[in-house]
Amino acid sequence: MGVFVFLPLVLPLTAWPIARLAEQHLHPRTATRLLTAVAAVMAMCSTLCLGLVMVVGTAQLPGNPLPDGWSDPEVRAAVPFDEVVGKAAIPALCAVVVACGRTLWRHGRVRRQAHRALAGLPATGVAVLPDEVPYAYALPGGRRDRVVVTTALLDRLEPAERRALFAHERAHLAARHHRFLLSVQLAARANPFLRPLCTAVSYTAERWADEEAARAVGSRRTVASAIGKAALVSRGTQVATLAGFAAPGPVPRRVAALLGPAPLVRRWPSLFTSVGLAAWCAAAGTAASAMSSANSAVTMVLILRAATPL
Amino acid sequence: MADHRQRSGRRGQGELEALVLSALQEADGPATAGWVQERLGGDLAYTTVITILTRLLAKGAVTRERAGRSFAWTSASDQAGLAAHRMRKVLDGESDREAVLASFVTGLGPDDERLLRELLGESGSEGEA
Repeated sequence: MGVFVFLPLVLPLTAWPIARLAEQHLHPRTATRLLTAVAAVMAMCSTLCLGLVMVVGTAQLPGNPLPDGWSDPEVRAAVPFDEVVGKAAIPALCAVVVACGRTLWRHGRVRRQAHRALAGLPATGVAVLPDEVPYAYALPGGRRDRVVVTTALLDRLEPAERRALFAHERAHLAARHHRFLLSVQLAARANPFLRPLCTAVSYTAERWADEEAARAVGSRRTVASAIGKAALVSRGTQVATLAGFAAPGPVPRRVAALLGPAPLVRRWPSLFTSVGLAAWCAAAGTAASAMSSANSAVTMVLILRAATPL
Repeated sequence: MADHRQRSGRRGQGELEALVLSALQEADGPATAGWVQERLGGDLAYTTVITILTRLLAKGAVTRERAGRSFAWTSASDQAGLAAHRMRKVLDGESDREAVLASFVTGLGPDDERLLRELLGESGSEGEA
């Protein structure tokens, strides 16, 4: 098979251009779904590949529990440098499993703790907490989905902006955005090359909720000013960015997008514009890489199955 | 004791604190831990009630004063205040909570504030025009 066995591990790199283009030019809902699906498929192929390389590379080691047939020369020929790579794959796979496990565990723990913190309050859809720190977020699960918001933030917003805030958070809950976010986080743990997709999806999910809120409130500018005010009020929480990366952060881009025209719910830009051409090329590249990832993973499975004595 | 610990584990700390605090709010003036225990139907052990009251004291949700050989407790905040305190602890404990809870806004980068004011200023003047 040659070195292309390792392709699923590096092909997620090809998803970087499509992440940027989708973020900027697709409707946020389409972009979120597309990027999450791409990330999930690539992460699965990559992990499967890692697992198979590990199996092939370690099958000839003494004392392993794998079938004897898996150490046949034909099987080992499928993976170049099988001994070195196989051994390197063991810690890599362990790291993936541990990182994904930790992400899942932390996700569950934070949600449980947050629900427990709200115990004793009436079980309403919105929990308003008297706190001088301004924050708001959507808390899914538990006995019911809730929007958590502090008085400090509500006090700074006009009534229309408050409606925009609640509409935004309800959109997160209604569309189950936490599932998209968890999926891409797990994908980024499985293959670090998928991290730009994780960042892109967390941005497009916010944009999706912004657009839903703009539709519910009936004013794009109200949502924009609610976001802007909330961000300026809570600016104490500075994000640590490297000085070199002075590109606008997600909040100004969201505000700018809302001040512009509403995105069209078209599926794809036309092929005959420069944007369309780039988007189509990137999409084709991603599709091809996903296919070849799947292809090499399936080939490896078939080889191993052929070598397994029944 | 093991039984109580098990029970409180099942109920969840937050829920027990809420129960004790609401019982204390129903009292006219300061109340003893024994009164709170009775009020809750003797469901909790005396030591458990004391533990929870001490925890509430640390959160600033109750105050106490000496009354003879024991303490008299008064509620200092309502359920929402207590919930806010607990939520802050959850959020402060989680360094990258934004990864788990989709926050309304994320932090601003170095140039973001200026950019944001420009954007909002523009839209504001447009709105007035």
